[in-house]
Amino acid sequence: MKDFAIFWGCTIQARFPFLEKSTRMVLEGFNLPYRDLDGFTCCPEKSLVNNIDRGLWVLTAARNISLIDKAGVDLVSPCTGCASNLATVNSELHLSNKEKDKVNSILKEVGLEFKGKNKLRHLVPFFHDEVGIPAIKNKLLKPFNGMRIAIHYGCHMIRPSHALKNDDPLDPQKFDNLIRAMGAESVQYMTKLLCCGQGLDRVDQHENALHFARLKLKELKALKVDAMALCCPSCYLQFDNNQNLMEKEGEKFGVPILYFTELLGLAMGYKPEDLGLDSHRIEATEFLAKWERLHGELSRTTDLNRQLEEGFGIAQP
Amino acid sequence: MESLNPKLLEVCSRCGACYHICPACLNLEGYDPRAVIKDILAGTYEKWLNHKSIWQCLECHHCLEICFQHYGFENAMTAMRTLTAKKRMTPVQVKRGWDMFIKTGRLGEPAAPARKKLGLPEAAKSGAEDFKKIVKIYQERKESEARRQKTDGK
Ligand code: SF4
Ligand code: SF4
Repeated sequence: MKDFAIFWGCTIQARFPFLEKSTRMVLEGFNLPYRDLDGFTCCPEKSLVNNIDRGLWVLTAARNISLIDKAGVDLVSPCTGCASNLATVNSELHLSNKEKDKVNSILKEVGLEFKGKNKLRHLVPFFHDEVGIPAIKNKLLKPFNGMRIAIHYGCHMIRPSHALKNDDPLDPQKFDNLIRAMGAESVQYMTKLLCCGQGLDRVDQHENALHFARLKLKELKALKVDAMALCCPSCYLQFDNNQNLMEKEGEKFGVPILYFTELLGLAMGYKPEDLGLDSHRIEATEFLAKWERLHGELSRTTDLNRQLEEGFGIAQP
Repeated sequence: MESLNPKLLEVCSRCGACYHICPACLNLEGYDPRAVIKDILAGTYEKWLNHKSIWQCLECHHCLEICFQHYGFENAMTAMRTLTAKKRMTPVQVKRGWDMFIKTGRLGEPAAPARKKLGLPEAAKSGAEDFKKIVKIYQERKESEARRQKTDGK
């Protein structure tokens, strides 16, 4: 496997360092050749920077990409926004030599050049395609058999598909495959592909952001899922933080929000507190208790089944 | 923002296929890019500048994916937001985010104490210095380009 730089982005490192912790733990658990690279800035966020100054959006992303060109490594990000923004600019610059030359004439002044020769991926499709389901299954000590998990993809893990090219943009499968590989049921639901709506919280429309969080959480509460799985710090902010705000106002949902890396880490046998689960606003206590119980039943029956099989082989009356 | 393509927009104004997959159309009252597009084509878009609707596009790219022109409602909404920003009329949070981005190259610095508590290594160095350098060059070029266009126009 080619070495890759991990692109944390602003939100994880500034607001949710525990998500960085669980990500590092699973990367190390799989012995993956990742590294931290000096010099990255904000990806930058499209909905902020592109709306105001498209040229600067392109230039900033191109500079980040040129750093991996220089280091000769691929890039993987545990943030959907970062992955999508970088891939979008990458594909736009490949389509326009004029724009590429313009960007490079500026990057030259700081000793960089955009080539865009290396892969840029989000962590989830990276695990699916590069690590692979069999290798993942091999690492699981405590799978989630019997658990019902609802996946929230996050728009920018899969769209725009012409740039990300990693899954069906309207019927994605890879995250589902990974959750199933961990033993859980991937619960299908009406609002599965609905946008989280966090963006509304960045344009002075908090009530509308809550409205969007509610749409999904209400359905998941009715379906009695054990948790929501996602892999984007903005979506996490929307469903953990804003769910907590609503619960404080008396609206109860009780849907714990688990990061892909936290679920994987748990299934690999890492302790919840080491993975940073105690930093969540919405507690995962019930989720963990049910999982313990089911896992106990699972290993007891496995044990019984083994004894039954052994019995038939030895003593014949 | 790339310039808008009136031909594609004209098709949009008669199509609307993405309306029924757009999360903002389906869930936010009064949100309808078709109205904005019609006004853009008629040249009467002033009323949309900093209208709350134009900030409700979630940039989820559903419209882009389903569109047979590979265009999407979002282009019209982005154009309105860019124009609003040029007139310095953006929502407070957008302005705050932009100021932080230009000043630091990021939207937040790594939380050092929390990271230490978790046993995380020191965060990699930010590229803020080089970022500021290229922003300066970029802005100077943009300004001189604008000046040239003005004198050419005279
Ligand atoms: S990107 Fe398109 S589909 Fe998504 S909210 Fe904006 S207009 Fe609607
Ligand atoms: S963006 Fe595409 S799908 Fe949507 S109205 Fe326009 S032409 Fe139709």
